[in-house]
Amino acid sequence: MSQKSPTSMLPYVLLSPAVLATVIVVFYPMVQAVITSLYSNILWRPRAVRFIGLDNYIAIWNDPVFWASLGRTAIWIGLTVPLQLLLGLVTALLLNQTFRWRGLARSLILIPWALPSVVIGLMWSWIYNPQVGLLNDLMLRLGLLQSAVPWLANPDTSLYAIIAALVWQGFPFFAIMILAGLQNIPHSLYEAADIDGASDWQQFWHITLPSLKAVLVTAVMLRIIWVANSIDVIYVMTGGGPGYATHTLPLYALKRTYASMDFGYGSALAVSFSLLLLGAIYLYLRRVGKTIE
Amino acid sequence: MPIKLRSLLGAALGAAVLACGTASAQQNVNFWYHVDNAENTKLMDELVKTFEAKNPNIKIKAENVPWNNYFDKLFISIAGGKAPDVAVTRLALQPQLLEMDAIEPITKQLAAWPGKADLANNLLEINKATNGEYYYMPLQYVAIYLYYRTDLFAKYNLKPPATCEDFLEAAKKLTLPASANGGTELYGFGMRGGKGGHDNWGPFVLSQTSFAPDALTSPKAVAANSWYIDLLRKHKVAPPSASNDGFNEIISAFKSGRTAMIFHHIGSAKGMTEALGDKVSAVPVPSCGGGRWTYFGDESTTMFKTSKVKEASWKWMSFLGESENNLKFNEATGQLTVTKSGALKVPHPARFVKATMDSLAFAKPMPLVPQTADFVSTVWPTNMQRALNGEISSAQMMDAIDKHFNAK
Repeated sequence: MSQKSPTSMLPYVLLSPAVLATVIVVFYPMVQAVITSLYSNILWRPRAVRFIGLDNYIAIWNDPVFWASLGRTAIWIGLTVPLQLLLGLVTALLLNQTFRWRGLARSLILIPWALPSVVIGLMWSWIYNPQVGLLNDLMLRLGLLQSAVPWLANPDTSLYAIIAALVWQGFPFFAIMILAGLQNIPHSLYEAADIDGASDWQQFWHITLPSLKAVLVTAVMLRIIWVANSIDVIYVMTGGGPGYATHTLPLYALKRTYASMDFGYGSALAVSFSLLLLGAIYLYLRRVGKTIE
Repeated sequence: MPIKLRSLLGAALGAAVLACGTASAQQNVNFWYHVDNAENTKLMDELVKTFEAKNPNIKIKAENVPWNNYFDKLFISIAGGKAPDVAVTRLALQPQLLEMDAIEPITKQLAAWPGKADLANNLLEINKATNGEYYYMPLQYVAIYLYYRTDLFAKYNLKPPATCEDFLEAAKKLTLPASANGGTELYGFGMRGGKGGHDNWGPFVLSQTSFAPDALTSPKAVAANSWYIDLLRKHKVAPPSASNDGFNEIISAFKSGRTAMIFHHIGSAKGMTEALGDKVSAVPVPSCGGGRWTYFGDESTTMFKTSKVKEASWKWMSFLGESENNLKFNEATGQLTVTKSGALKVPHPARFVKATMDSLAFAKPMPLVPQTADFVSTVWPTNMQRALNGEISSAQMMDAIDKHFNAK
């Protein structure tokens, strides 16, 4: 026993700095958020802070803005991630071909990903501007529109306008991940398929896609988490407005916490959303992740 | 020789003691402020240098905190026990700061301060807390007024609007398709439907009501609010993007000749004259339904209870309230000075100073209650945008605001 213990302890000793850092930086704030969510805690009323149990959660259950924001969060993730994936896949397939300026094209494609979100938000809000924006101008000139559309000020279009901007920002991530995956597929598989007379489509469907599966599952999961939590672009473009039209749950939590200074309710919103996201990721991995080794 | 050495040693020791003495007496004052144009922090650095030259024992650490989350950051720093020693703040936040027991009264210091007599009008009285103490040292102020395009008004034979009705008539006449306005679509009114637009809405609605219980939901108030909503929905005299437009959008549209009237204060006068020269002027806001209201925007410095260098902090606060220094600070922010002697030397074009002065008779701050901060940042913009987009009615919007201020 005394001989074994140094080696059996070693992994724990080596792991402890990372674990300790996680406990302090992630776990402690998480526990703190859960505790705060059980209190009525409005920042500027320090003398009125009191324990209220699950009252914040009951209020959330009865809060129409919560449910509307949840619906919009589903649209937000459900459209952004698949569109980014699709665009990224097409881009990766193109960039995997041999052509003259391939190196240059591969670096250019990274630009949206490398730009700060605030820059992207500002850039796109000017593109969408009904008076001086590029998009309306182009569509008017092409005769697609009769009069300029206030894309971001109209509650029916604002969320989709931001989704388009976010798709543009995020597709390079998929493109690069998939490109790396594509380059790992042995060329001999395609040669064998060629000899067997498989069409391009059949090769894509039976060789390329299955080989990319592990990459796709991981990339999609990461993107779901990032997109779900991403509020910077929305914040810059509309601040959640007009009205509640572009409120997603994390943004609603942020506004309740920092604009209204209601830390109890804001924390309860954040905790609820984290649990929902955790559930969604769990289901996703159970259904999709199971099929890959 | 030994005597010389001893005296040298003595001198060195003395110098060292003195150095230690000054080092320990050295006081650091953390100061938070904000300017719209980061270039102007240089002016603040100059002020700090002047102050430090006069007070060699005090070091000012002035931090320009971005405006967008200035107050979030301030409140969180207070809650976390890390508040600055002195910060620029607004009257509307005083009730919350008092509720948090965060700020230090300066009543005694003010009474003994020779600069007090030079402070303009009743600025100190406006800033007095409900408990009778003074917490705020006035720093600058503005009043919202109406910017209008003199050339367009002359061209269409219009007078600067004195009433709501005049305003609507001018806005209608100055809403022109691109074909009738040299290739640029023109809107009569650059409405600010996004955050901060409550001071555009106030002259039309708050002129006819108040924040008292049930006043906002009275038929007259609801009708005034409908009238404002109709500017966009019915008369279409504001750009279609109005419900989302904030400060940058309304200012840039006006400067580029896409709108003919906007509400703002003297802070933007310099930029306006740079872009439009003498084609822009200003008048006080129109009167509506027999009443007149405009937003009085104030900024003051205040000292925090947690400060360990209160005496030094007061010195810095009073320094910023003195005529020349105050003018220099206002040069950085573009707002108006608080001293009588400084008012004579204000660098802004006279027409904008006059429009501000003429507005003071009916300019009011937002209600001094804790709910105001959330009204400005969330309740007003969210409900206004929903009303402008037809999701809720004028009455529902006014009801939501009334509930926010007067629930329970």
